Amino acid sequence: MFNQKRGQYFLIAGILFVIYGCTVKAVGDPNRPITINAHITIDVKGLKDTATGIEDYVSGEKK
Amino acid sequence: MTKYFTRAIFIASLVLGVGLSARLSFTQGTYDIKEMTPAVKAALDGRKDRFDQLRELKSKGIVGENNRGYVEVLGNNAQAESLVNAENADRKFIYKTIEQQNNLTNALGTIEKVFAQVQRDKAMSADKIQDENGHWVSK
Repeated sequence: MFNQKRGQYFLIAGILFVIYGCTVKAVGDPNRPITINAHITIDVKGLKDTATGIEDYVSGEKK
Repeated sequence: MTKYFTRAIFIASLVLGVGLSARLSFTQGTYDIKEMTPAVKAALDGRKDRFDQLRELKSKGIVGENNRGYVEVLGNNAQAESLVNAENADRKFIYKTIEQQNNLTNALGTIEKVFAQVQRDKAMSADKIQDENGHWVSK
């Protein structure tokens, strides 16, 4: 009995996790849109590697 | 039966969650041109095609690399101006593509600066480069 009840809790928790874990739910007045200023940290080292790869391609150092 | 079904759902949720987190970390750590559209390819090929001409103008001190990731004509030279304008248009398109395809909102300035740094690193001896303080120097 207990195991069955626990199983049901897990089932509900699992379903909720799947649904809400992948959904961004917007609430509020659609006529008054909110602005979120997100601060994105840029991996400068990664960006430099990308830039180097592109410039190597342009200069013919990399095919 | 319910027990196994519950376990399956629970494990699937965990896998999905872990997979989603891993995907996000990968995206944040690596930047690239993720989709090679015809326009991006044209910009890259355009840059490749004019590389030797720019190289020559740089070696003559007519063109330099500024600190914003673009080439600049140092003095009056109409022919160089047209080449530089085409080069800078392609560069800007590539920078914007990296910004957009990697979801780097409002990061164009940073991308430009990083490319400028790479151009300074790759510049040949005696090439004109603009340092971070805005001074034009010979490498």
